Amino acid sequence: MFSNLFVFRGRVAPMVELSVGIAAAFLVVAAWEAAARSGIIAPQFLPSPTRVVAALWTMLTEQNLVWHVAVSTARVWIAFLLAAAMAIPIGIMMSSYRIIGAALEPMIDFIRYLPVPALVPLSIIWFGVGEETKVFLLWLGTFFQLVLLVADDMRRVPQEFVEVARTVGANSRQVMTDVALRWMGPTLIDNLRITLGWCWTYLIIAEIVAADSGIGYVIWTARRFVKTPEVMAGVVVIGLIGLVTDQLLRLLHRRLFRYL
Amino acid sequence: MSAYVQFADTAKSFGPVEVVRKTNLGLERNSLVVFLGPSGCGKTTLMRMVGGLDEPTSGSILLGGEKVVRPDRRRGMVFQSYSSFPWLTVERNIAFGMRYRNDITSAQKSERTRHYLDLFGLADFAASYPNRISGGMRQRVAIARTLAAGSDVLLMDEPFGALDALTRERLQVELRLIQIREEKTVIFVTHDVEEAVFLADRIILFSRRPASVVADIDVAAELGPQRPLEIRETQKFFELRNKVLHLIRNETGTAV
Repeated sequence: MFSNLFVFRGRVAPMVELSVGIAAAFLVVAAWEAAARSGIIAPQFLPSPTRVVAALWTMLTEQNLVWHVAVSTARVWIAFLLAAAMAIPIGIMMSSYRIIGAALEPMIDFIRYLPVPALVPLSIIWFGVGEETKVFLLWLGTFFQLVLLVADDMRRVPQEFVEVARTVGANSRQVMTDVALRWMGPTLIDNLRITLGWCWTYLIIAEIVAADSGIGYVIWTARRFVKTPEVMAGVVVIGLIGLVTDQLLRLLHRRLFRYL
Repeated sequence: MSAYVQFADTAKSFGPVEVVRKTNLGLERNSLVVFLGPSGCGKTTLMRMVGGLDEPTSGSILLGGEKVVRPDRRRGMVFQSYSSFPWLTVERNIAFGMRYRNDITSAQKSERTRHYLDLFGLADFAASYPNRISGGMRQRVAIARTLAAGSDVLLMDEPFGALDALTRERLQVELRLIQIREEKTVIFVTHDVEEAVFLADRIILFSRRPASVVADIDVAAELGPQRPLEIRETQKFFELRNKVLHLIRNETGTAV
């Protein structure tokens, strides 16, 4: 009776997909709970999900978790918007004018491969341990990736579209706004969604190294006292924020690009 | 009669590669001229230069006596693919042709859009996006957009190449009717001999690269201006088609 669910590259009803997603997650949590309760693994290594949820509740009600989450989210978005605001125009210019691409691409490619954690000491020397360091590190991790992705999208705008616009009288600026940007829209939003995810990775690095607030700080502090449930609760919160943001951006994508 | 589109010693090279050999050729107004030749021979480049999308290395192209320097809406392009913008509805794709015109009011623009929606049988799909309509419909949208722009020269680069045989035939008939009714000059690039003979007032046959004119065939003299589908089954059509095929074999040494 389930054979029709296993058709190679076949389709599955949306309700089935949703229920399977929830059921699979539930199974994993149940297995985790069972493993933790059986006592095979010491609780300081693997606390049960119920204890993680209890820890999460305490953190929410007594330890100001909401504020830490807000601080972290603000850091991520400030750095991300800054990176996007710079990467989008620069990436577009790089592919629109060869001379600009030729000037910037080697440099950006070099910096892009530098691991962000390796630049932490330098950024502390430059900016101290305040907010600037965190924003700088996050910006560093996203800007150089994003700028090349944007440049790539711009390069892929079909020449035919550009030429159709020019033959109906569009000037360069109009080709850019009415054709190139419209064409790039869907991939641009996708790339932003993906780089926003990377931002959270770098955030934790930044907050572990130098912070007295934020979710990374919370996780790292809990680790020092081997409060494993708190550590796990912190990680779960990041996962939830990621899930929600991702779904919201996907929804935005569907709303904006109904023609796809 | 003086030519409307005039190639004057036009030649084109891309770096060391000679693509178009010095060409002198005049094309009459309100006629449909097919550029026929082997793939990659340079016929498309020749047509693109009429559009102002490529610049001749030497010589020039005159349109109504005026030198072509850049693209403008008097010469519209229709490509084989990517012809309609996926983010615009059929209606707005057609209206895009007039987007940058200041010489007509927006009421006139809507009226013209309506006119071409009806002319191409697209009225029922006005609010659809291109990915919801067939390839044939999409090419109709592209042609309608070019006409709406007010182009009097249509540059068509194998526009029906990706369509199935039946749709292709339908569009050929429609194109010919509309070309006559709307009094347009069409340069149509193809490597399909049947298509060339069926559509053309005149076929210019090109050699392999670098392109140079090897034959100039007056099809209108044989088949007349009207091209109903049945013409394909006439003796005259067969003879003409065979003549062109022979010319291609002899002159270019290749099957197209």
